Amino acid sequence: MEAVAEIEARMQRARRSFDDLKAEMARMIVGHEDLIEQVFIALVCGGHCLLEGVPGLGKTLMVRSLGEILSLSFSRIQFTPDLMPADITGTNVLTDDPSGRKIFEFQRGPVFAHIVLADEINRATPKTQSALLEAMQEQSVTVGGKVHRLENPFMVLATQNPIEMEGTYPLPEAQVDRFFFKLLLRYPTRDELARIADFTTAGPPAALREVLDTADILQMRQWVRDVPLADTVKDYAVRLVLSTHPQREPGKEAAPLAQKFVLYGSSPRGLQSVILAAKARALLAGRPNVSFEDIRQMLLPSLRHRLILNLEADAEGIGAEKILSEVVERVAEVS
Amino acid sequence: MSSEAETLRKKFAELLSWERRKRREQILATLFCYALLAALLTLPFHGSLEMVISRWFIPISFFGLMAPFFLGRGRWRSSDSARALARVDKTLRLDERALTAWELLERNETRAAALMVLKQAGEKLTNLDPKALFRRSWSWQAYCAFPLLLLWLGLLWFDVGLRFDSDLQLSAPKSVAQKLREFSRELQEKAKNEGLRESLRMGRELEQVAQKGIDAKTGDEKFKADLAGMQKKIATMGKSAGEQQPLSAAESQQDLMDLKAELEAARDLLNIADAAKGAQELGKQWLDQLATLPQLKKQFEREGQAGQSLSQNDLKSFLDKLDKQATGELDRRTLLDAQQFLEQLMKQGQGEKGESDVRLAGQGERDSPDDGEKTNNRSNLPGKEPGKREAESPSLPEFQPGAAAHIKGLLGEGNSSGLVLKAKPSAGKSEVSQDEVIASYRRQAEVELNTERVPEGLKETIKNYFLSLGIGKE
Repeated sequence: MEAVAEIEARMQRARRSFDDLKAEMARMIVGHEDLIEQVFIALVCGGHCLLEGVPGLGKTLMVRSLGEILSLSFSRIQFTPDLMPADITGTNVLTDDPSGRKIFEFQRGPVFAHIVLADEINRATPKTQSALLEAMQEQSVTVGGKVHRLENPFMVLATQNPIEMEGTYPLPEAQVDRFFFKLLLRYPTRDELARIADFTTAGPPAALREVLDTADILQMRQWVRDVPLADTVKDYAVRLVLSTHPQREPGKEAAPLAQKFVLYGSSPRGLQSVILAAKARALLAGRPNVSFEDIRQMLLPSLRHRLILNLEADAEGIGAEKILSEVVERVAEVS
Repeated sequence: MSSEAETLRKKFAELLSWERRKRREQILATLFCYALLAALLTLPFHGSLEMVISRWFIPISFFGLMAPFFLGRGRWRSSDSARALARVDKTLRLDERALTAWELLERNETRAAALMVLKQAGEKLTNLDPKALFRRSWSWQAYCAFPLLLLWLGLLWFDVGLRFDSDLQLSAPKSVAQKLREFSRELQEKAKNEGLRESLRMGRELEQVAQKGIDAKTGDEKFKADLAGMQKKIATMGKSAGEQQPLSAAESQQDLMDLKAELEAARDLLNIADAAKGAQELGKQWLDQLATLPQLKKQFEREGQAGQSLSQNDLKSFLDKLDKQATGELDRRTLLDAQQFLEQLMKQGQGEKGESDVRLAGQGERDSPDDGEKTNNRSNLPGKEPGKREAESPSLPEFQPGAAAHIKGLLGEGNSSGLVLKAKPSAGKSEVSQDEVIASYRRQAEVELNTERVPEGLKETIKNYFLSLGIGKE
């Protein structure tokens, strides 16, 4: 009984923390509630996010505010074509020790922070992008044969501008796959714009309150993994992921849009992402188990960047969102 | 927590058992509906099954044939349990707590997080009444089953299938009982048309006996033994009818039918004369008309009176008496035909002539000088079926040049009857008297008027027209 009471308290605490976080973020960021939820889910799941949106929508502000509220260190890297890997990871510099001897000392790069904002990641060369993506995957950097551990928790929020593609280096599919979520920033509505005008032109910006600390986040990461998942719900997620694949074998059914426009369906990382995110969503909602709705809600941010579409899709303007919507419509909850 | 888990387990068992029961009922209703549908759709072919299986059991047979498929397809699987529990979650908005709790119970999980799910599911499901929450909902098959059953029973009751399939089963060998039933129906029809009460009664009795034999699937030999009693009964009835009506024993079948038609015409004439003219003019009118009614005239002559000395009432009673005698004689002959038919049936399978000779009397019969003495030849066997041509023409008396040839027969769709005259052309005169032609037409008209082909409103007009033919001649 004690264990059950502890779980109940844990759930309540998680929910309360999340509600506090949302309230605090709302003081600084207008709108984007779903985006804030998804970024927080990615954080408690130990994932990284790729944000896509036009400039000026508050990406940097949001990430900075998140760092403040969670009392996490924050750094920003503006990716440019001349940015070198060492500019991100850091490098060994020659310096004098107290005895006057010349020694190499590792100068840590901006990647050594809890939250790293990689602004316009597609403007850097693939070599530089790879350095960051390797750090994301391994949670460490190796310089001069020495491994340097990154902060824990460590989260990268990379942004992409979808309209200025000239002089950019689009991320390779294999590297995009390493992002837990791909989130799209929509343009604010009329009311939201009016509120933004009030927030930013009248009075000084509000001071944000810390609602969670590093230990809380690491604890929540453990709680997420403890959320029970029914086999039937897991099977639903598996079938959804499988339905994104164009079936080559006769007798296997695929969604017609996936059959026509998808070159490669989601990787197994996509399934891991969906299930883990669904667990986190259940926890933040104060529920002890994962529901079908959790799976559906987490499908789009988890899989939209994991579908590799063909040229026909590009020509006809079919996006991953449309294909995933059809997949959700076609796949039954219980087979 | 273990008691909570136990309660939850019982609740799930109750829910799933209720869902299983609904599934079984649904499968049975569907099966029942499809079995009845199959039985109805195959109704035209039941004739071929009749010897093997009673028609009552045909839907049951289809039910048995289809049952393995439906039961196999609709068997309860683990995914059905999951679906039922997901439905509970949807209905009670439990966010898959019930489904997860059921799986955790199946896996006997004891983690704290799992126990938390069981606790929350238990709280929500304690007061769950599956029967109230998930009531039965019948499919269209279930709704159709009862009307189809009624339709099937109705068809059986009115014997629709057998009449239908009897036409399709011409080439199939028929049992003695089936042949008897066919004959009895034809006999009843003939008796109804000609007003033969005894024959009608006998026809009904024969049909009952035949139907009983068909339903009980009695073998031919046993059925023949049962028929012996009926044969004796018919013989007794025929004998008594003959004793009562000695009058027309020497007349041919056709003469008797002509006489009945003429009697009808004479009655109408009496009624018209009675209404139109005075009683004094009746004698003259009557004598004029009598000349156009040869059979009636013959009877008058036989009785030694031409009718002129009779009053109208005497005349009417005389006509009634003649009618009764003619009907009685026809009844007797029909019963005799039935008796001979039964004899033929009894002899079947013993090297005797078979089905080809089994025909209803009347249509194959022709005038013969000694018609009163019946023998076992084609003329006194039951007639051919309507619409069938005679395989061979009956032998005819030698045609005498110069003598009048009177051709009698029925004109109409489906019937082909008449005489083929075979004679060498020779010098002389061939003529038929107008009276005879008119009498023949009148007979035909009488027969037609008794059918449903002539509209009711026109019957009187047609009758008056034919009566006026004789009057016009005068």
